[in-house]
Order: sequence, then C-alpha cells, then structure tokens
Amino acid sequence: MSLSLSNFEKSPASAEFRSDTFTTPTPSMVAALATCTLGDAVYNEDVATNTLEKKVAQLAGKERGLYCVSGTLLNQIGLRVNLLQPPHAVLCDYRAHVYVHEAGGLPTLSQALVQPIVPKNGIHLTLMDDIIPNFVPDDGEIHSCPTKVISLENTLHGMILPIEEIQLISAFCKLHNVRLHLDGARLWNASVATGISIKEYCSYFDSVSLCLSKTLGAPIGSVLVADDKFIRKANHFRKQNGGGIRQSGLLALMALVAIDENLPKLARTHEVAKNLGEYATGLGFKLEHPVHTNFVFLDLKNSLVDPDAFMDICGKHNVRVGGGRIAFHFQVSDEAVADLKNALKEVIEYSKEHPYDPSTPALELPKATSFYKLIQTTT
Amino acid sequence: MPSNTPLVTQLQQQKMWSYAPRSRLIASCRHAAQFTNVSSKSIKWVGVPSHKTTSATFFYTRSSNFATMTVAHEVFPTHNDFRSDTFTVPTALMNNAVVRGLSEGWLQVGDSVYKEDEQTLKLEKLMRDLTGKEAALFCPSGTMSNQIGLRANLFQPPYSILCDYRAHIFMHEAAGTAMLSQAMVHPITPANGNYLTVEDIEDHFVPSDGDIHAAPTKLISLENTCHGIVTPYHELEKISQFARDNNIRLHLDGARIINASVATGVPLDQYCKLFDSVSICLSKSAGAPMGSVLVGDQTLINTANHFKKQCGGGIRQGGIMAFMAIRALEENICKIDQSHKYAKEVGKFCEDHDIHLESPVDTNFVFLDLKKNNMNDQFLVSIAEKYGLRLMGKRLAFHFQISNISVQKLKIVLLECKQEALRNPFHARRGPKKLYNIDVVKANLVKALFDRIQMLEAGHC
Repeated sequence: MSLSLSNFEKSPASAEFRSDTFTTPTPSMVAALATCTLGDAVYNEDVATNTLEKKVAQLAGKERGLYCVSGTLLNQIGLRVNLLQPPHAVLCDYRAHVYVHEAGGLPTLSQALVQPIVPKNGIHLTLMDDIIPNFVPDDGEIHSCPTKVISLENTLHGMILPIEEIQLISAFCKLHNVRLHLDGARLWNASVATGISIKEYCSYFDSVSLCLSKTLGAPIGSVLVADDKFIRKANHFRKQNGGGIRQSGLLALMALVAIDENLPKLARTHEVAKNLGEYATGLGFKLEHPVHTNFVFLDLKNSLVDPDAFMDICGKHNVRVGGGRIAFHFQVSDEAVADLKNALKEVIEYSKEHPYDPSTPALELPKATSFYKLIQTTT
Repeated sequence: MPSNTPLVTQLQQQKMWSYAPRSRLIASCRHAAQFTNVSSKSIKWVGVPSHKTTSATFFYTRSSNFATMTVAHEVFPTHNDFRSDTFTVPTALMNNAVVRGLSEGWLQVGDSVYKEDEQTLKLEKLMRDLTGKEAALFCPSGTMSNQIGLRANLFQPPYSILCDYRAHIFMHEAAGTAMLSQAMVHPITPANGNYLTVEDIEDHFVPSDGDIHAAPTKLISLENTCHGIVTPYHELEKISQFARDNNIRLHLDGARIINASVATGVPLDQYCKLFDSVSICLSKSAGAPMGSVLVGDQTLINTANHFKKQCGGGIRQGGIMAFMAIRALEENICKIDQSHKYAKEVGKFCEDHDIHLESPVDTNFVFLDLKKNNMNDQFLVSIAEKYGLRLMGKRLAFHFQISNISVQKLKIVLLECKQEALRNPFHARRGPKKLYNIDVVKANLVKALFDRIQMLEAGHC
C-alpha cells in the first residue's frame, strides 16, 4: 500500500500572507516519516531528536541544542536560565516577541521586570542611544531592579539587526556581567539576506533560540542553542514547564528535512517581498518599516486606508491577510502574489473614492446607559 | 493643659498608659508576695515612675490588683491571656523610657531606609553582638524576616525547602515560600514525633543530581522552638554539618530561640553559628511591641535588605520600635524562666489528671491533644471565659505577663473541660490548621473591647 501524498502537494498556505507560521509539511517531509525513530526524548533516547539538536548546534557553532515544541517556550526558558536571583530585569525592544506576544511569561515564569525600549532610529536597538541610557547597573541600590539580561531579536518585524551593533552590545554585556539572549526565530532570514553565517551571529550570544516552524516550514518546533551547562539547566525548566515530550522523533525528522530542503528557498521569498514592497509604495502605500527580508508592513493608518475595507478586498481576491503585516514564505504561490497585487491596486482606488479618516475610532463604544448596565450586572 | 503639669500626669489624664501610683503599687506588691515565690523585700521596683504621681482618682479593687500581679510585679492587661506570647504588651518601664526619651530629647529618630535611624542601628548592633553574626536587619515582623531570609538563600529555581510539617514558614506564612520565592516545600513529619533529626533529613532531602523531574533541596529551614519543643543542640550540629557537606543552606526560624536559650542555657551565638541565617523575634516572649531581626553574613543581609524594600518593609522613623525592642532584650529576658515554670506546672497538672498533651512541655507552651482527650475546643474557650481567661484553643501560651492566679484558674478550667469530655466525648472532625480559632477569637474580641471601654470609663487604667 503506497501512501497518497496528494494532500501535501499544494499547501493550503499558498495564499496565506498572515504569517510564515502557516507553512505546512511538504511531501518529502511526510515521506521521511516512514524512517523516523521512536525513542523517548525525555530519556534522551530518540536518535532523530538528538541528530536535529546536534545539527542545529553545529550550524550555530554552539556546544548543544535543545528541541522544544515552540519558540515561546524556548525563549522563556532561555531567558529563565540566564536569570538567577531577583530582582532582575530584561531589557529589550518595545516590539519584541518576548515582551509583547509571550503572554506575560517573563514576570510569571521568571519574576523578571521588562524594560521595553523604543529605538531612537525606529528600526533597531543601538548601544549608544538605547541600551546605555536605559541600563540599570547592579550597584546595591535597594530601590532598583538591575538589568541582568538583554534580549535582542533578529529579524524583528522583518528588519535586520546589523552585525556591528550586535558586536558592540555583546562587548558591553561582557564588560558589565549582563547576559545576552537572541530571539532568533527568523535568524535564518537575516543570515540569507546578509550573507553572514548563523555561526557568526550566534557567537556573540549566550543563548539563541532558532525557530524551525516558521520560514523553514517544519510543522512544530524550535531549537535553543548554548553551552552544555546552560542546556542542562534549560532542560530542567523545559520539563518543569511541561515541554518534556516523548516520541518527538516524528517532529524532529520533519524539522531536519526542513532545514536541508527549505533553507535555500528563503532567498526567493525576500525577492518577492521586496518586489511587493516596491509595488505597494509605487501605488501610494506608506510602509511602517523598510523591507529587509520576508515581511512587508503596510502602514494602513498613514496611507489613509480603511483596515476593514482592506481585509474585505483582499478576501475578495482570495488572499488572506491579517492587517498591514504581509508575510512571505516559500509556499506562497506566484498566483497568490499576483492576486495580492491586484487587491492592493483595488484598495488604493477604493481609498481615493472613499477617503478614510484615521481619527475615527475603530471600535464602537457602548452607549452610556448600557455601559452602566454592564457594571450593575457584574457587581 | 497647663504647661507646668508633669507630662506623666497629662498622659494619665488622657488615659494613655496603664500605671499604678507608687504607694498603691507597693501595697499591692506586698499583698501579692503571698502568692509568688518572691519575698516582698526582694521585689524590684519596675513600672514605678520617677515623677510624683497624679492627683487623678485611681480606683481599683484589692482583689483585682493582687490577682493580676505577675512575675514582673506589674499589672498587665495580658495577665490572663494564654492565646499567644505575641500579645505581650510593652512594660511600664519601656513606655516610661520612651516618653522620657522623646520629651527629654535623647531618643532621636531618623530615616532607617537611608540607615539614619540611631535606635535601629543600635538594635542591629546589639543583635550582631548577641548572635556573633556579621550583620543584622530589623524587620517589622517575623513573617517578613523569615521570608526574606529564605529568599536571600535561594538563587535559581527549581528548588525546594525542607522543613518540619508544623513549621511556621510552611503553615502560617500564607504560602510566602511559594509566592515570594517560588520554592517547593517538603514538609517532614519527624520520626521521633517532636523535632527533626539528621536522619529525617537524610531520608527526605532531594539531591542536586541533575534529575530534571526534581526540585532539589537547596535550603533547610529549622524551627527552634517549634510547638514549644526544644531541638537538642547536638542534633542541630549534626544537621548543620550535613547541610554544609551537601551544599545546602540552613535557615533558623528562631522566633522563640530566646525561649530555647533560656531553657537550655545555650547562648544565642552558639546557636547562630550553625546557621546561614537566623530570624529572631522580639515581639513574642521578649515583649517588644513589634519586630524581628534577621542575622547572617553581610552579603546575605544586603540581599535580604533589597527584598525587604521590595516587599514594603522599608520603614522610616522606626526608632521608637527599635528602642523598645532594645529595652525588651535588656529587661525582659530574665522574666522568661518563670513562664516556663508555669507551663511545666500546668503540663504536670495535665499529666496528673490524665489530660493528654500533643508535645512535651520544654518551654512556654502546653499543647492539649484535643482529639485524644475528646475535648471540644469551643467549649474550652467558653469555660475559660467564665473564669476570666483568654484562650484560643488547644495551644496554651505562657509569657512573663501572665499572673499566678491565671495559671491556677487555668487548672480549674482544664479540669472542668476534662469532666465535660468524660461526660460528653467530642468527636467532630476538625482540620489541623485550626490553631488560631478565628471565629471564637473574634467573638471574644468584641466582648473584650467592650469590657475595656467600661474599665476606662470607670477610671481603671
């Protein structure tokens, strides 16, 4: 009996621009499952998982890797291992995933204060303008919470953090006994765009979390890389948080295939993204950020485009977007890109006919009487 | 009020203190001497002001006065309070000294967060000298000094704290260990039923061997006394050695270490040298109005100070409280022994009358075994009330402010309760945590406040 892989030929994510997390397993990944290993990963007995961890660690130039079910889990445990005794603070970009999109994990799981910094240049954190003015030293002042970890993200909102800045920040951290963590969920994209190896990027950090389920297309998983002592402690926290999975070989094998097969496909997604970015600005759209990798952030508000109309029109053209953020990945089809371009054209024409006033509130507030009724029912 | 009226008189007219005029106190002491072991000649004059006394009327009955005379030869409102040794009030001498100090100007206060409060610094130095530790930290409560002491000894989780199953840090600190330190607690029932031994610890500690399922034991917290029971010094030495050998920190909840020291004769510094940190409560048997001191080495205390600020323990002009704590240490320790004697007396009484106890009476507590005695604790509390005593339940606490008459009345109360238990054995299921018996306490509190108001109105101070 041969396996029918037709379901995996055309990915449901072919017209999906909401995020690169929607990437689905390819036929080759599924075919590889036939040879997967089935050891218990909590006892370190699964060959595929061990192979994956070794491979990613080697790519990153680190001693060991730890495979986890999600990037959020890895980021949180990576930061947890870097933190010792409170009071301690984590300094990061104000848009950082670890701060905005990890459900308040830092205070809950690590009892850490977060210092979210708005970069002066609007694109990425710099040592001189952002970190030094906000850094809280560990000098015995009992009112303060000293900065113990700096968490950087590359790419952040699709934008690249220059290696020169990373070098400066890393040197500062070593001097002041501060740990440096990298949320490298999309580090692969940065590496492909700049040509700088993953190994070189990771060499400046104490710990790096690399996601396999995004642009690389694995269904599940992320790998944390660091030295041996760090990984052993991280493993303890992983168990504590419920991340100790058993027969992870199936997932690890698909991730291995993803790295081998899909890494070379990233460069094209960047070209497509850049192309679309130029097209959009040509039409009259304003962009929130420059297009460095696989994201285009349309500034709907400043482009005077009604977000609801934008969603409707894109839906009409059978492309799925989640607002101004347009994500590109290797499973997006050329047809979908063409449809998206048509949709954008229509959106601009619509905005010209129906000028959108961004000052009108997006939500309709309940009327005064009903608001008080709401209070009465809850007390 | 005219400015030439002595301050003492002014205060008495405002009914701020309780205090007897000199002549009456002397008379009552002589009378009371019949009921104590001390001859009237050797009575120390405590609580007698140096000023001439008031012209305000002071009405009292002879019976109430000698009945309430205590081992300190002073009348305390807590003379009949067996609920806890936390109820101890400042002595007249302490109150007097504060009033004098403030009015004469030698008691100055400053901001203790900036380490500018003289009395707090003096108290901390006194504690350093008494305990032989490098540094001391004055905290508003024993719960705080325990929790920050534990926190400062813990670094990166996962970790667990090993302690006695009755330990205050585990049972009565509102899960501070979990919330403030994110520590798992492993509560152990001592094999000998009374105090933890090194064998108990060896059997139950979780080693740091890399097992990712485990929360390794990083801290052992002992309590001496716990449930009034003294842990023998040699056992503490063995546990201390074990902790050192296994790279585990050792904390002492020494809320009643002073009682242990009085009972055994082992000085404080000898106890303290075995531990990384010790929390010593001053508001219990020592009689300070509030406060507890955490002692340890300088690094630990610096960290603890940071946590103290974080949890809101950074008080400003704490000098009056620290001053009272100093006076308590200087004046009241000698009075503790008598309270141990009273406790032992009641303990022996229980033994003679077949009233079972939960624990041996080593210091100032008698723990009735209500279950074994089939006693109803609510009944116990109400019978005690009938005799003018204040009880909370199975735990009988003795302190230096308790009068002999109260102790004798307590015996009657216990007998009556025993009789009732024989007639109508009480079998209701009660949780183990009902130590504080809040409902009964609340009802009694209202009544007590009402009584106090009546007393003040009638001119009793």
